[in-house]
Amino acid sequence: MTRTDMRQLLLDWLDDNYHFGEAATLIPSDDASFLDNGILDSLGFVALIVYLEDKFHITIDRKSLNRENFDSLNKILSFVLPRLGA
Amino acid sequence: MNGRDAPVFVPAPDVAARSQLADFMADVSRSTGRALDGPAFSRWAATDWRAFWRHFLAFAAPVVEGAPEPVCVGDDVEMARFFPGLRLSYTENLLRSAGPADDDALAVIAVDETGRRAEWTRRELRARVEATARSLAALGVKSGDRVAAIARNDDRAIVACLATTGLGATWSSIGPDQGPESVLARFAQLQPTLLFTVGSHPYQGATKPLAPRLRAVVQGLPSVRTLVALDGDVAALEGLALPTRTLADLEAQGAAQEPFAWPRVPFDHPLFVMFSSGTTGAPKCIVHGVGGTLLEHLKEQRLHSDFGTHDRLLFTTSCGWMMWNWQLSALASHTTVVAYDGSPTWPTPDALWRVVAETRTTVFGTSPAFLQYCRDLALVPREAHDLSHLRAVQSTGSVLADRFYDWVAENVGSLPLQSISGGTDVLGCFVLGNPLLPVWRGEAQCTSLGLDVRSLHGDGSTRAPGHGADDAVGELVCANPFPSRPVCFFNDPDGARFHAAYFGQNAGLWTHGDFVVLTRHGGARILGRSDGVMNIRGIRVGPAEIYAILQEFDEIRQVMALEQLAEGEIGGTRLVLLVVLKPGAVLDRPLTLRLKKELSHRASMVHVPAAIVAVDELPATHNGKLSERAARDAVNGREPANLVALKNPACLATLREHPELGGRFAPRAG
Repeated sequence: MTRTDMRQLLLDWLDDNYHFGEAATLIPSDDASFLDNGILDSLGFVALIVYLEDKFHITIDRKSLNRENFDSLNKILSFVLPRLGA
Repeated sequence: MNGRDAPVFVPAPDVAARSQLADFMADVSRSTGRALDGPAFSRWAATDWRAFWRHFLAFAAPVVEGAPEPVCVGDDVEMARFFPGLRLSYTENLLRSAGPADDDALAVIAVDETGRRAEWTRRELRARVEATARSLAALGVKSGDRVAAIARNDDRAIVACLATTGLGATWSSIGPDQGPESVLARFAQLQPTLLFTVGSHPYQGATKPLAPRLRAVVQGLPSVRTLVALDGDVAALEGLALPTRTLADLEAQGAAQEPFAWPRVPFDHPLFVMFSSGTTGAPKCIVHGVGGTLLEHLKEQRLHSDFGTHDRLLFTTSCGWMMWNWQLSALASHTTVVAYDGSPTWPTPDALWRVVAETRTTVFGTSPAFLQYCRDLALVPREAHDLSHLRAVQSTGSVLADRFYDWVAENVGSLPLQSISGGTDVLGCFVLGNPLLPVWRGEAQCTSLGLDVRSLHGDGSTRAPGHGADDAVGELVCANPFPSRPVCFFNDPDGARFHAAYFGQNAGLWTHGDFVVLTRHGGARILGRSDGVMNIRGIRVGPAEIYAILQEFDEIRQVMALEQLAEGEIGGTRLVLLVVLKPGAVLDRPLTLRLKKELSHRASMVHVPAAIVAVDELPATHNGKLSERAARDAVNGREPANLVALKNPACLATLREHPELGGRFAPRAG
């Protein structure tokens, strides 16, 4: 999966579950903090990693669920893509 | 015997022997001259229920006046009236002292996610409530009035509520996260004279303002004569053309030295109005009485939960859920209420466990959704926090799966995880904990004492606790009168809606709307709703609210909202929407997102379906009435009970085989 495809998949997931067509508008940049901008809350992050695990048949160590790895589009892409072998 | 056949927790004999339930059982045995213990005691309480309540009133000794006889007039569950000769005050009973030490003990600890923490002794709380009551009376609030509140779960809501109910007025509250339509669908029916509100609330690190929504709410409540800002944020109420006060004003102006004489009201006097949204019409306004609420909560909290002066109860709840009222009543057992407001996972994923530790909470009330979150994150609270004060975890809101019992045992501590279940309709529990009994995975420990709780099966037979087979699923019914049965519905003068809601299905039995298995251990497994009301992630969702919003979509001809069992989802179920489109319309992604967005903005996130599926037709009876029950059975793998009543039964196969709906199965009703 390309970075562009994965980015779109994340936006679609945010739209399907939280922002219903407004995710791209609400995220000011790919480096913007999800927490600070109200894009996802803690429960949402857990839902996201459960979704990624199901979708790609991977296991994500819960200790890695922190701001450094998941708090923006770019951080998630950088964390997840290498685990897919992309 | 393998691990699955053994209880996951067994109470220590000395702890059990010191429990209030053990005291009460000994007291009853002495009085009656009968050796009643274990199952015999439960059976006695359900069959000789008048004697049970007579004994319990004497044991709990709430402040009452008048005659305790008759215990109950009538034997009909729907019409029976308890303690018609008694008068009492809910507020007086919650604020009374158990002795000088109790006056200086903490009554309320209020904590929120921002770190605000306030503590109030019983003496201080009593002074605040009395002062507020004086000011409310001066504003014209009187017995029989309805007072509404959009409130946060904190000390201010507790003060406002107890001052209101102390005057004989009726309290009704919701949390600050509801949309204006949802608020008005509830409060407008009550015609409240006064509205308490907050200007904002914190959630997940952000401050969420209410001002834009308050304008629509206040305009839709023409009966309101006064607004009171609980948090002092009068700026949020500017321009609403009504007298505006703050709670702090009311407390300051009503301060006095002499104690307030709380008026005592009849047993069935309206105390709380709770709301339940059903499959049709506006949300039901369920009126709960002063005596029934107090007596039931005293019973559940002292006998089943063993609450006392050394306990601190933190139940994760908003002011819109009946667990808020249940938590509040713990004051009557001289237990400290730890009111937590905000996100349970902010500013750290384990924030709520930190609060449990720092407040030295002894009983932590939560939900399967929160336990699932902790499990998904692999949290180990017992390693990260000092939970040495914690002696029990209670869970309610949705089905508590077996895996959570093991998770708590391994990651929280060796303590009972008590599944408790009942709900808004009875402002209490039908199944819950017991300090004398072991805990079995997936089971509530017992049925509620004094209530003849049974499972009703397809052949009309009923099974009592301890007499069922562990796979016999039935409807949860109650076969005898109980004090916490609602007094009535508001605006239901002939009782027709009330009758239809609980007694229309099975004459003479309170039919609660849950599937249950009463186990051989004497416990119970709740398996989810049996009626059209849905329970999504622990929150009740009425399809009628969804239909009211979606009827404005030009593309939709018919719609049906269903709860479908879904392994792995929080609470074990998900919300599914079936839509029949008008000619030419297509359920594409833009329409799907538009439907979800409208539901999230005008109702709540819980009303947003996990799946929206377009179908050619919905099951309907020969006279054209849509059959949610048949559709629900089909999407949950059950055989619909009455196919001949449908004019289009073939459409059920389409639902069963639909790729987005198939492959999920429900327990089969026995």
